[in-house]
Amino acid sequence: MSRFSNPILYFFVLCLLSFVLLASLGEMVWGAAAPGELHWTEKLFFDLCHQLPDRTYSVGETMMAVNTRCFGIFFGIAAGWVVLPLTGRYTAGTRWPVIFLIAAITLQIVDYLGNLTELWQNTNHSRAFLGALFGAALSVTVSDLFIIRKNSKS
Amino acid sequence: MEEEKTMGQSSDSISIKDMLPSATVVGLVFSIITFAIGLFVGYYEISSEPSGSFFSPSTLSGSVICLISLLGGVLAVWHFVKEVNPYIKLGQGAALGFLTGAVMVILTAVYSEIWNFIDPDYTDQLVEATIANVEAMEMPDAQKDAMIDSMASSVRQQNSFLSSILWGIPITGILNLLTGMVGVKIFAKKEDEETF
Repeated sequence: MSRFSNPILYFFVLCLLSFVLLASLGEMVWGAAAPGELHWTEKLFFDLCHQLPDRTYSVGETMMAVNTRCFGIFFGIAAGWVVLPLTGRYTAGTRWPVIFLIAAITLQIVDYLGNLTELWQNTNHSRAFLGALFGAALSVTVSDLFIIRKNSKS
Repeated sequence: MEEEKTMGQSSDSISIKDMLPSATVVGLVFSIITFAIGLFVGYYEISSEPSGSFFSPSTLSGSVICLISLLGGVLAVWHFVKEVNPYIKLGQGAALGFLTGAVMVILTAVYSEIWNFIDPDYTDQLVEATIANVEAMEMPDAQKDAMIDSMASSVRQQNSFLSSILWGIPITGILNLLTGMVGVKIFAKKEDEETF
């Protein structure tokens, strides 16, 4: 038997992650900034994302506030968080979530270095996919902490 | 129980005050590392010829700084567990992670201000180097102008004390909040039952 714990923390973090994901959509959702001005969403992510235009998803004249890899990470974290009550039941007491997280981080580094040294060329979609994998791994890693197993009391 | 007595108090009594030393120590170390990398790459860009490439050393260092910044939450929890209390709860780890992210952003802004006294021309030189690099790119003039305005604003924001704190804390804080929880998963000792 198991039950969900820390519901307040779960919903609080869910709200924060929803805000991060919505903000990362930048001009696509929040409208364009004045000419020559930084969009408020670009200011928000400036410290953590290089925001290169050719590595950012765009629709017409509008662009996201973050590059494809960062968007993938935020999407993956949020998606992983939404299904956390479910995944937590399968991760409790197992090591695979941490292995999954280490593998996802390693994939990021390998993909980044391979592209940098021109061994291969990654694309916006591949960067977004690998980012999403890392983000989801981050949420899955902590998922068992939100589950209490009643028979684990001793 | 024996260990609780020797290592610290129960996790119920952990306050923000107890977390501050760990957040400060880790925030201090990480902000020095990220600021030093940023400064090194900044001077490298100032002293080198514009490449006309989107992918400059500063974009490389940005990725490294981003990764290092995310580790702050994990290591702050590790420090807390080692030095203060091994029974930190999930919510407390999240709070410690957020606090560490905030400390990193504030200290980096302070170092930037100090560096502006040491080398008052640094920001202007970096803006000029950034503009020169964009001007060397092959793209339509209108797009180039828009990009120059945007990148110059970016560099100035990074070197503006209040702006970098106000815009920097939320996202760095939230991401470290998550990694703080990962820290609890890896390092914290389990109590019988956790509640927020």
